Amino acid sequence: MAILEWIRFLVGAAFLLGGLTVFGIELFGVFHYKYVLNRMHAAALGDTLGIALCMLGLVIFSGFNFTSVKMILVVVFLWFASPVASHMVARFEVSTNEEIEKECEIDKGEE
Amino acid sequence: MSRLLSEEEYRKTKAYRMKRWYHGDKDPYISKVEMKPQKPFKEDVELQRKRLHDELILNQRIYDVEHNNKILAFRKFYRFISVIFVAALMAILLYMVSYLPPTGDATNPDNNEVAAKYIEDGMADTGAVNIVTGMILDYRAFDTLGESNVLFIATCAVLILLRLDKNEKTDTTKEEEEENDRLYEPKNDIILQKVAFFLVPLIIIFGIYVILNGHISPGGGFSGGAIIGAGLILYLNAFGFQKTERFFTQKTYKWICFVALSFYCLAKTYSFYCGAHHLETGIPLGTPGDIISAGLILPLNICVGLVVACTMYAFYAMFRKGGF
Amino acid sequence: MTLLETGYQGLFTVVPIILAFMVILCLVRAIKGPRIADRIVAVNMMGTMTMVIIAILAIKMEEGYLVDICIIYAMISFLAVTLLAKVYMGVYAEKKKKEEKENGHT
Repeated sequence: MAILEWIRFLVGAAFLLGGLTVFGIELFGVFHYKYVLNRMHAAALGDTLGIALCMLGLVIFSGFNFTSVKMILVVVFLWFASPVASHMVARFEVSTNEEIEKECEIDKGEE
Repeated sequence: MSRLLSEEEYRKTKAYRMKRWYHGDKDPYISKVEMKPQKPFKEDVELQRKRLHDELILNQRIYDVEHNNKILAFRKFYRFISVIFVAALMAILLYMVSYLPPTGDATNPDNNEVAAKYIEDGMADTGAVNIVTGMILDYRAFDTLGESNVLFIATCAVLILLRLDKNEKTDTTKEEEEENDRLYEPKNDIILQKVAFFLVPLIIIFGIYVILNGHISPGGGFSGGAIIGAGLILYLNAFGFQKTERFFTQKTYKWICFVALSFYCLAKTYSFYCGAHHLETGIPLGTPGDIISAGLILPLNICVGLVVACTMYAFYAMFRKGGF
Repeated sequence: MTLLETGYQGLFTVVPIILAFMVILCLVRAIKGPRIADRIVAVNMMGTMTMVIIAILAIKMEEGYLVDICIIYAMISFLAVTLLAKVYMGVYAEKKKKEEKENGHT
């Protein structure tokens, strides 16, 4: 049984560290890009993939019980909520920035 | 005279008239445009009396030296007394600090029997697995009643301060009234609406779960009520005031708060009078760990949760729109 | 303490510390961010990392109820982002309209 425990530990740790790496990439992107609409791509990475990997690792650690169900619920909730939050932020940025033509091309056909 | 015109013809031209006007012989406007003489300023007796009366009152108010001196003296006196009062209060409090027990002493009152009693007998007395809920809703339920009342009173005060009067906007058109709440905000964001359609029930169900499990797991009325309030705010944000006012208005708020607070009051009064500590209340405690257990704690939790949720929503609505 | 337990303890100690450093860097972004949207995005990122920290603590201390706080955190963070974006949009539009009115009058 010891080997099974070790396998569980290693797989879980791999997922957790993978999530941590994603968070690091997210942070790098946020500091690397120069404009909000570019930064948002990096920031949305952690909201979806990063937290999913971390929670998957923790679910593997804890086994299948009520706690892990709640963790999966967090991930599902964020997968619903994060794109909408990004949409709101992008809409906010586009509608309040007066010099947006300097940063990117926008399609003026609709408005 | 080197005129081209003869004398008679010259008299008919405008230049001649101009010349005469310039020399002052004849003013062409003298009988045509005239100002009527101004009527002398007349005042009937009543108007005069009123004016004099007003001036008298104004003078009395502005130059009421005697009263003003009184006010100035009172202000000086007030400052003096307040400084003395604060100094005395500080002295008393600092004096009391010297009576506090030294830190780190094992016989200090913060290590006394009350905490040990709560920890040891809490579950048997209240039936709640979560000791904190047992404390705030059973041993110290009056305190929690005060907190709920504070929330209600705070909402009332904010309502007094921020509410827009309905009479001010009677002459607005229907369209304006419709846009009134979110005049400058983007309306009907379809993406947000679709997601709020999924998430709002989820949030509210989670809040209900936190409230109902208040005596078993961490949580309780205050946190669960805050979560339900957040759900309501999200619904309001996505769909607008018009949709929300179909089920939540000021009347609803008043009734929910009234019913919850008075039920809390009555239930706790019964429990205090009839079952203070070792008396028999007739309310079964149930097995600790079940959802329906712990006597009065569950309904009291629900009351507190309702009050908190309504208060959160009411605050948000009032600060955004000035009424709901 | 066996080697496995040591591994678990080390993992659950090191990962929250790294995440805490990342949260501090996010705070730097939130303070530096030239636009309001930058700050909102940074605060959202901080919320996500805090959720992971709380979940790790829940596993480490074997208190499953801590995960409830994660869910609440996710809800509040989402609500904050949408509300802030919407309210700021409203404020900006109002200011713009007022400026236009003043310019039109003068």
